[in-house]
This record gives sequence, C-alpha cells and structure tokens, in this order.
Amino acid sequence: MLSMQNISKIYRTDVVQTHALRDFSLEVKKGEFVAVMGPSGSGKTTFLNIAGLLESFDTGSYILDGEDVSHLNDDQRSRIRNERIGFIFQSFNLIPDLNVFDNVDVPLRYRGFKAAARAQRIREALEVVGLASRMKHLPSQLSGGQQQRVAIARALAGDPRILLADEPTGNLDSLMARQVLDLLEGINESGTTIVMVTHDPELARRAHRSVHVLDGQVMDLNAQVAEPQTHETSAHA
Amino acid sequence: MEIRPILSAMLRNKTGAILIALQIALTLAIVCNAVFIIHGRLVMMNRPTGIDTHNIFVVSMTAYRPDYNAANMIRTDLDVLRRIPGVVDAAYTGSVPLSGSGSTDGISTKSDPKAPTVDEGEYYMDDHALKTLGVRLAEGRDFTHEEVVHTGWHEYTPPPVAIISRALATKLFPGQDALGKIFYEAGGRYPVTVIGVVDTLTNSYPSWHNYALTAIFPAALENKFSDFMVRTLPGQRDEVMKEVDGQLAKTHTGAYVRHLRTLDWYEANTFQADHALTVLLTVMICLILAITALGIVGLASFSVSQRTRQIGTRRALGARKTDIVRYFMMENWLITSIGVALGSIFAVALNFWLVNLFDVAPISWYYIPVGIVCLWMLGLLAVLSPALRAAAIPPAIATRNV
Amino acid sequence: MFTYNLRLALLSMKRNPILTALMVSAIAIGIGMATTTLAIYHVMSGNPIPQKSDQLYAVQLDSWGGNSPFKEPDEPPTQVTYRDAVALMQADKAQYQNASFQSALTVQSDNPSIKPFMVIARVTYNDFFPMFDVPFEYGGPWSKNADQDAEQVVVLSQETNEKLFGGANSVGKEISLENHRFRVVGVLKRWNPVPKFYDLENSQFGDTEDLYIPFSLTAPMQLQNNGNTSCWKDTGDHTFQGFLNSECVWIQFWAQLPTAADRDAYHDFLNAYADEQKKLGRFPRPLNNHLRNVTQWLAYRKVVPVEVRALVGLSFMFLMVCMLNAVGLILAKFLRRSGEIGLRRAVGASRMTLFRQYVVETAVIGLAGGALGLGLSWFGLLGLRHLLTSTTRVTHLDWTMVGTSLLLAIIASVIAGLYPAWRMVRIPPAMYLKLQ
Repeated sequence: MLSMQNISKIYRTDVVQTHALRDFSLEVKKGEFVAVMGPSGSGKTTFLNIAGLLESFDTGSYILDGEDVSHLNDDQRSRIRNERIGFIFQSFNLIPDLNVFDNVDVPLRYRGFKAAARAQRIREALEVVGLASRMKHLPSQLSGGQQQRVAIARALAGDPRILLADEPTGNLDSLMARQVLDLLEGINESGTTIVMVTHDPELARRAHRSVHVLDGQVMDLNAQVAEPQTHETSAHA
Repeated sequence: MEIRPILSAMLRNKTGAILIALQIALTLAIVCNAVFIIHGRLVMMNRPTGIDTHNIFVVSMTAYRPDYNAANMIRTDLDVLRRIPGVVDAAYTGSVPLSGSGSTDGISTKSDPKAPTVDEGEYYMDDHALKTLGVRLAEGRDFTHEEVVHTGWHEYTPPPVAIISRALATKLFPGQDALGKIFYEAGGRYPVTVIGVVDTLTNSYPSWHNYALTAIFPAALENKFSDFMVRTLPGQRDEVMKEVDGQLAKTHTGAYVRHLRTLDWYEANTFQADHALTVLLTVMICLILAITALGIVGLASFSVSQRTRQIGTRRALGARKTDIVRYFMMENWLITSIGVALGSIFAVALNFWLVNLFDVAPISWYYIPVGIVCLWMLGLLAVLSPALRAAAIPPAIATRNV
Repeated sequence: MFTYNLRLALLSMKRNPILTALMVSAIAIGIGMATTTLAIYHVMSGNPIPQKSDQLYAVQLDSWGGNSPFKEPDEPPTQVTYRDAVALMQADKAQYQNASFQSALTVQSDNPSIKPFMVIARVTYNDFFPMFDVPFEYGGPWSKNADQDAEQVVVLSQETNEKLFGGANSVGKEISLENHRFRVVGVLKRWNPVPKFYDLENSQFGDTEDLYIPFSLTAPMQLQNNGNTSCWKDTGDHTFQGFLNSECVWIQFWAQLPTAADRDAYHDFLNAYADEQKKLGRFPRPLNNHLRNVTQWLAYRKVVPVEVRALVGLSFMFLMVCMLNAVGLILAKFLRRSGEIGLRRAVGASRMTLFRQYVVETAVIGLAGGALGLGLSWFGLLGLRHLLTSTTRVTHLDWTMVGTSLLLAIIASVIAGLYPAWRMVRIPPAMYLKLQ
C-alpha cells in the first residue's frame, strides 16, 4: 500500500540545513494499522507530510497504492490526496464557518461528485461516526471528541485507500480519546489501511505494529515486516 | 464551485463583506454619475464649431485720443493686418466667437411683436467674415463690401441681410429652403433677408443650449473698442501674432493693442470651469477606484491570513491551487455583486438628485451595466494577488500544531 | 493614562507600517477631496459683508415689457434702467442708496514712462463707499456736490494707485481718463469682497474695479456699460441719450434699510413709483418689485454654481467610501491583535480602558490622516488654481477651512474607530485566548 525507499528531506534556510529525514524507508501493507512513533523533532511529522503528499522530498522513491508518486506535479498530488488519502489532524482542522454537513462535504466538492451522491456519502460517513443527527451544527457547538469524529467522517466520506492520522487524540481527554480510537480500529477492521503518527505509547499499542523514528531515520528495522490483523506489537523502549 | 458554502461562510463573517459591499455600492454610484457628468461636458466642449479655431487670433484695440476716427481705424488696421505675410484674411467682429460674451436676440418669422421667437447668437462682422472664420458658404452668397453697415454702437439698427447657420435656418423655416426668406429682429421691427446659409457655425456662447443658432450681420460698430479676427496659414499663427504689435504701431498713435489672444485661448477660457470639473471628477474616479481596490486587497489579505489553517486543510483534503484561487474569486464576486446591486439603486438615486440640480436628461441606462462589469473586473483584479497568496499556502500547514 | 494610550497607539502604528499607511492615506484622500470641494463651496457661499448683509438690499423693479417676463417664471429684471436709477437716487428714500455700473476706460498718467492702459471703472455715487464699508488708505469719497455737478474726481484702488503713483498718497494729484482730467480724492485699502455681491453681472468671483468715478459723468462722457445690457424694446432714436432714456436695464441698484419697517416703507415706495410710471405708459407688467438682502440676493442669483454643490455631494460620498475603507482596515488590525487584548483583559484592564485605548489610537490615525488630507487639499486647490485662472479667488484655503477639515478628519476617524473598538471590547476575554 505504502512503500518508501531511502527518502531524504532537507530543510534549507539561509544559514542552516536540517536533515528532517535521511534514508528513510518504510513499507505498509494493505489493511495494516501502523503507528509511527518518536519524540518531537524526530521527523515523524515530516514523514506524515511526505506520506500524505503534503510535502515533496529530495531523494528516494515513494510508491503509494501501486503508483509511483515521487514526481507528480501539484495538481496530481492534490488529486491523489483527495481520492486516496484520508487525513485526521490533531487539531481537527474543521472549518469553523461551515456546519458539520458542509465540513464533511469539503473533500467531496473537490472530487466533483454530484450533489445527491455527496449527500449520500456524507450521511453514511456521519452515521459511521454516530453524528448523523448533528449535521446542521457548527463545530463550535460540538465537543472536542465530536469534532474529531466529524473530522474522521470527513476523512472517510471520500472512501480513501489509506487513512493518515496525526496525533488524533492529542487534543482530547482520555474518554473521548478512547471513543476515537475505537472508531479507528473499527475502520481498520473494515479494510482501510491506517498510518498514525503519535508520541503516545498507549496509543501505539492499539496499532498492529509501531515504527520508531529518531533523527529522521527508522530505528527498528527488524519490526518492518509483520502480518496484518495479528495485533502483535513490536518491542519498544 | 458552488455558491452556497461560500455564502454561508461569508454570512458568518458579515462585517468585512458588508464594508466592502457598501464601498462598492457607493463607488458604483459615484463613478457612474461622475462619468455621466464628464461625458456631458466633453460632448459640449468638443462640439464642432465650424470655425478654423486653431489658426485664428484676435486683436483687441482700444482708442484713447479724442480725435480718433473709429471708421478709419477699422479700415487701416484691417489693411495692415491683411498685408502681414502668412495671414489668410482678417475681419472686423463685434464680439469674439466662442468667448462667452456677445449679443443675442429673439427673432421671429413674423413681424408681430407677440409672435413666438427663437433665441439666437449674433455676430456683427464685415464682408471678410466667412473667409476669416474658415466657414464655407453652403447656399446663397457672401456679403458684398457695400452691404457692410458702418455705424456707432448706440446708432446700430439691424442690416437688411444676414447669413445664418443651418441649425437656425431649420429652426426658423422647418422643411423649407431658408434662402431669400425673411425673419424679424428686435420684436418684429426689422425685416432681415437670409442671403446665405453655412452648415455649422457656433455663436459666441458655446456652452449655451442654442450654441448652434447663429446669424451673421454685415455691420461694423464704430467704437473706441474694436476686435479684429485674423486667420493665418496653418501653423503660422504664433509667428504672425508677434508681428501684429509692431505693424499696428506704425499706423497709430491714438490707439493701443489691449489684448492679443488666440481663439483657442478664448475657447479654453469659456470652458475653464467645465474643464476643471472634468479634471476633478476624473481624479475622483481614479482615486475612488484605487481606494476601493486597496480596500478589497486589504480585507482579502486579512481574510487569507485569518484562514491560513483552513486553506492548508482544504489543500490537504485535495483542493488544487486553482480551487483556492477560485474560492476567493467567487467570494469576492459575490460581495461585489451584492455591492453593485445596492449600488445600482444608489446610482439612480444620486442621478435623480443631479438631474434635478443640473436640469439635464437622466443618465443613460447602459452606464450602470458597464459600471457593474468594470467593478466586477476591478474586484477580481484586486483579489487576485491575495488569492494567489492563499493558493501558495502549503498544505503541510494542516499538520502544524501551534 | 492618556499619554500611555498615546504611546500604545504610536507603538501599534509602527508595528504595522503598511496597514497604518493604508489607513492614514484612505482618510487623508477622503478628507483631501472633501476639503478641496468644501473650500471652494465655502468661499463661493461666503458672506462678503457679514456686518450689514441684512441691511443692504438689491432693488428689483419690474420695468420689463413685451410678451414674456424678464425670466420665467415671472421674474423681474436683475438690473434697473438708467432713468429709474436716476429717479430712485433723486427720491432719496433710503438711508443710503446707490446706482452703479462697470465701464472700461483708458488711463493716461502724466508720467510719460507709464503707457496708456485700460482700467475697469465703477461708475457710481458717493454713497457706494460708506454703504459697502469700503476702506480708505488716503483721502475719502467725493462729495455730494461732486455727484450733482459731475465733477471729474476719481477714487483709485490700492492696486491702481500702486501702478500710477508707486503707492504714494496721490490725493490731489491728477490723471487723465479718456482724455478728461480727473483729480484723485481718495485711495482705497485692499478691498475684495468675495463673491462680488454688489455686481453679479460681471465675473462674480472676480476682482473689484480699478477705480471709481461719479455716476453723473455717464451722460457727458458717454460711458459705456461693461456688463449685461438687456432690452425688451428698441432704444428709440439710436443716440446715446436715446439709450439712456430707453427701457434697457443695465444698472445695479442697492438700498441700505436698517430695519424691517424701513424695508417695508421702501417696498411701498417702489410700488408707488411703479404705479406712477404705469400712468406714464411704462411698466406694462403687473406690480412685481422685490427687495432682497445680500444673502437672499446671492441665493436668488445662484452664485454657487450647481456644479460645486454636486461636487461637494460627490466628495462627501467619496469620504464615506474612504471611511468604510478605514473601518475595514482598523477592524482587521484590531482583530489581528486579539491575543494582546485578551492578555490586557486578563490582567484586569476594564472594557472602558480598552475602549479608550482604541479610540485614542483611531484618533491619532485620524489626526494624521486629517493633517495629510489638508496637505492634499492644498495641492488640490493649487492644481485647480491652474485650471481656473479667471477665478483664482475661489481656490483658497482659510483658517476656518483648516479647522473644519481637521475636525472633520478626527470626527470621521473616531466614528470609523468606534465601531471596531466596540466590536473588540464586546468579545469576552476568554475568546481572545481561545483564538490562538
């Protein structure tokens, strides 16, 4: 599903060069639920950005869902993000001026679906997250957990091949966090690949396996291959 | 891109949109009406006069010696002027064409003093008038030398013949040939026969609504003040003007040249206030468009910076750069459209006031749609740069946690 | 507290120089445009003789005939005939009365180095000077006898005295006007009422005359009118005397009537005079005589052109656009500072304190905009002076206008700032902190 080989990414400013990723390689199989862990500054956000085609990289190759995405232009990358990737952000990133329905609608609009098809998908996605009754609410009228569930509905509505989650429970209390995680597990069980970036080991334990990033490199090479659906967790410090 | 979500987002941030829409509305009202006023003035200032204005200058003489002889002065001065190289012809004139100062009368085709009259402007000129003005006779004949009546200012009575403009001929004798017809001057007392018609000739009052109704009478009013028109070969006017003082000084001791001015000067002087008005309004239009455009740029920039994360999120969710640009364009277009809808009402209301004030015909309907299209374009142009800046926001913003 | 607010305002302006520049220039351009047109309107609509504008009356006698009024609808002429002017002067029914007209004359100095030149003279009675409060530098008006006996005496304007005598006291000296010897009896101080209310026939915002001579010289010198002459009837025998006896109107007539009773009495006198003339076969139209004081007269004659009124209207709409613009920018600027505001609120600044801080900040912006706008209008008027060479007197900025425009700028910008300030202090403090 996701295959990164020897990716490196350097941020350049006038005075310094920072190696955000160096020789970074990672395989994620279809249907896997992988947690990417590491302390802040380790490069895990850069990894997420590159995996989600939010940023380009300098060297290496990246194959996503069987397509080499190393050399796509901006519009092609937008299209892949839209059609194949679902994003879940730490700070939800709902659009405050739009109600729940319109928020879930945002990626579908860019997809070019007809209105009826969009409404159908939105309703289904909101039913999955249990918020179908709140369609007309504004984000500010919802709790944090509800907001994140709306964001998950938004990510699901486009029927993505892979879900990228960035500290999805980072802004939530534990009860809400558990609800969100249960939701993600359910989604994974129905076949959607999930890659989750987190620094929380508790969270990572819920994934099939964890990958540790430090100084822009994957630390635990022996944990790279694992069978999906086995709930085994790799060793970590 | 559908309008509804943009509209609902806009409605949740009304103030900025309302401010811009109001600016656009007032701008449309001001610009439409200012252009309307300017257009009216430009039409008036550029009406064909029939006169070879650029090659004519006017010599204004004042006699001051007790023994001056006005009749001699006119004759000898004109002889001197006509002999200057480069001069096409020179003529006596009782009032300077296009100067805004001269004579008018109400004339009638009937001798009855109670008959309705037509107000026209009158020139008193000699038999060199047409050639000096550069006006071609369309019908009939020119004045003869003998027809020119030499008379004192207060002793003047209208001569029995006149050459009139086509506009006056049509007004007096609609559907008929004016040549040989008679009209009456000064309350029906003096019959005047039309001996010639010229196609176009503006009288002394170019900003008057009857500017085209002109009659020339063959008369030289002998007075201590005399004005002579001089027409030169093209391009030689300024050279000839330098000669005038010296040449006239040779013949005179009892009179002096009071003014030596080009006909262009008189025309510009007459239209001075109109010209100033058009300049001021043009400046106003340019400034208001610039200010409105800057207002749009300012508020759009603010809204872009307020919505940085939102834009990044949209990009992450699959919006292309063009989608982002289009979003801002559409939002601006909506605001502008609300503004111009309101502005159309303002424009008509403002025009209503101006029409009452100026007593002119109301604004032509097409000013408003043209103004609307211009403001739409202005809005889109103004929002382009903030929109491009928005499109340049990297999608990775979405994963940044502040 | 005020200086603290002021310092905060300046700091905030410095932090966002582009935004500040935009706000200040929006206000400046709006104020500049409004002040430019308002200055012209102010001069044109000014009261040229405030101390007695309600005592001086322009006299209108309806001597008109023919088949239509002088002006529709049923308006009497704005000037009087020579014979009526003389008759009203002889009747002497007002405290002061004055008949006058403008005439172009050639002056010859006894000094051979000064070439003969043309001057514009006001041909008038000696009442002119006390009636219109004309100030003298040297000498004074001519005597009543001079009026009666058509003496060749002249009062020079300051400028003419400068030209002929280098500004020295020329009383008693002689000049030649149209080859007649005139004795100088007085020299005026600079005097230029704007508008030139006493004679609106010639340029209404033009200069006063170069010199003044007795009205009684009109007939002997055959002085020609320089302004509008309107006739409804032929002048008769086509001689100068015939013209003077004609029904042509060409003379401006004024009366000084200090009280309402005086005015009513004079109006009755005019009607009685008109009735008397009707018996002689003159004044064929119904009685329609008017007395209008200076302000009424200026309004009646529409001295302020409609163009100027339209411009003032347009430029105030223009100012509104600039203000809306500034409101938008100020609001954007304040909203961008939400964090700082939240902090101030959190550490205990009251709503009123913050409100005052915003208002001071917008007032500073307004003051800067107003000052700059004043500068812009000075340039605007300078530009207009180049376009309006024949009426430069109207493109003039006086202290009243400077004050008015500064006040306008501050009021406008405080109003523009009030709304954003009110918006800001209404947001609960917790919201500020939540925003970022």
